[in-house]
Amino acid sequence: MSFITKGKIGTALALVVMCIGAWVMAFPYLFAIGSSVKSRSEFAKDRYSLIPPRYQPTKLWNVYVNGKSDPEHAEQLQKWYPTRNYVEAVVYGGIDRFLCNSFLYAVIITSVSLFFNTLAAYAFARMKFPGREVLFNTLLATMMIPSVVTLIPQFLVIQKIGLVDHWLGVVLPGFAGAFGIFLLRQFFLNIPMELENAARLDGCSRWGILWLIIVPLSKPALITLGLFTFMGAWNAFEWPLVVLSNENYYPLTVGLALFRDQNGQDWPRVLAAGVMGSAPLIALFYLAQKFLVGGISLSGMKT
Amino acid sequence: MKKRSRVDWGAYLYIAPAFLLTIVFSLFSMGVSFWTSLHNWDPFRGGGDFVGMDNYRRVLTGTDSVFWVALRNTTLYVVMVLVGMIGTALPLALLCRKAKYLQGLFRTLYFLPSITPGVVVSLIFYQLFGLWGQLLDKSTTALVAIAMMGIWSSMGYNMLLFLAGLNEIPIDFYEAARIDGANSLTEFWHITIPFLRNTLVFVIVMTIIGAYQVFTSVYVMTGGGPERSTQVLAFDIFMNAFSVSGQMGYASAAAWLLFLVISVFVFIQMRLMRSQRIYDE
Repeated sequence: MSFITKGKIGTALALVVMCIGAWVMAFPYLFAIGSSVKSRSEFAKDRYSLIPPRYQPTKLWNVYVNGKSDPEHAEQLQKWYPTRNYVEAVVYGGIDRFLCNSFLYAVIITSVSLFFNTLAAYAFARMKFPGREVLFNTLLATMMIPSVVTLIPQFLVIQKIGLVDHWLGVVLPGFAGAFGIFLLRQFFLNIPMELENAARLDGCSRWGILWLIIVPLSKPALITLGLFTFMGAWNAFEWPLVVLSNENYYPLTVGLALFRDQNGQDWPRVLAAGVMGSAPLIALFYLAQKFLVGGISLSGMKT
Repeated sequence: MKKRSRVDWGAYLYIAPAFLLTIVFSLFSMGVSFWTSLHNWDPFRGGGDFVGMDNYRRVLTGTDSVFWVALRNTTLYVVMVLVGMIGTALPLALLCRKAKYLQGLFRTLYFLPSITPGVVVSLIFYQLFGLWGQLLDKSTTALVAIAMMGIWSSMGYNMLLFLAGLNEIPIDFYEAARIDGANSLTEFWHITIPFLRNTLVFVIVMTIIGAYQVFTSVYVMTGGGPERSTQVLAFDIFMNAFSVSGQMGYASAAAWLLFLVISVFVFIQMRLMRSQRIYDE
């Protein structure tokens, strides 16, 4: 009996600590969302509250139940409709363009890299050719190279082929990666050979086998890899910052840093832009979570 | 079955796009970087004069070089993030298993920072650190504050990695230990930790490698200040390469030195992870 209660106390304690942790994780998001609907004067006076002063229950109670309307408060309510900072971030900051750029970069990088990586992974998994082991190990070795060393030369290479300040220069280095090839190859190796042999007897070509048998069977791996590639492309900051100088091509991350510099005094607007920049990815992961079979252990190798 | 052993020449076409791109932007790029580091880069000519190891000498001993300051700051940052991250992620993973309810909610919430752009996180924490006593304006607290944000962002992801590792431990081991009268502390040291070894090595080394390259938070929040207290290597390299004209060679030399530091940890990881044989014993 005492053992059971001990276990229960342990569970309760763990729950309490985890809830505190959850609050620590959620707080910055709540702060950002709350601040993003504050008016400029509210933010200047009261940064702490998570709910903007004009929407706080006591105030609203006074207005709608007690009927004590305060003209200044009424004006605030009318002038600062909840989405005003969001609208202004789009109108004055061009956040919609940055979002659109980010989306295009991420979609292009994800689809092209999935295509190239699938081709290479299939060849490494199923085809026989001289130098296969050497080439594959060379690829694996490239995973050990930290991005800080490749940043400058990547820029020089892109400069040499004339793609600085061009959208292609942003996406080109993301078109293939050893990690994706490695991951897909592991997955392809686990698909039974019998399926392929049967298809070949029926006269199916290599190309046909890859797209009609291997790819459909590898959907979980492809979706997981695609999602993490998309996330990496969406969150990329240093590379687009280096390669672009034309604001029209900025992705959201670089655009936000610029927007902050231009709107240094208007933090509610900056934070509204930030919320708009993070929401799509969070929504995407929420929608796709049921496809992420073992996603975290698959992606465990990537940081 | 003779057909299967035939050489597939078409394979080269399959691997060509991915292989060439990867090599150009990694191994080849490293070569370019090393070549650049041996030259006095002139951006207008797109080339430079060979100066040998002069750039390295300037990075290491030059009077205007911030390399050693940056290396000290970066190492401090790495140590703080590492200690804070292991000190939170592993206990949280253990607690998350123990708390039988709300696990889905916890996983989602703790994972959120991993899918939020670093720039957005930095902007939010810039404000929060301002609220909590101007942490970023003092040279004594700025780096600590940036490390706190680093821990906050990576803690949940690593917790999930530890959870995945914990789930692979066969439950029989704990049952057998309990029959032998082991308490939870001995269970932790003699079952959990050995089984988590690979995950631990992976998380620790990845954290070190990632933290040595910290850039976004410094760029957005402090710009290296106040008084160079948050001047980190990646930021120094970036500024020299892309904000100061004609310092490309110097920046490449600094990048190579940082690469050497990181390589030590990559090497350690390869040694430690290869030697694991826990399931075979």
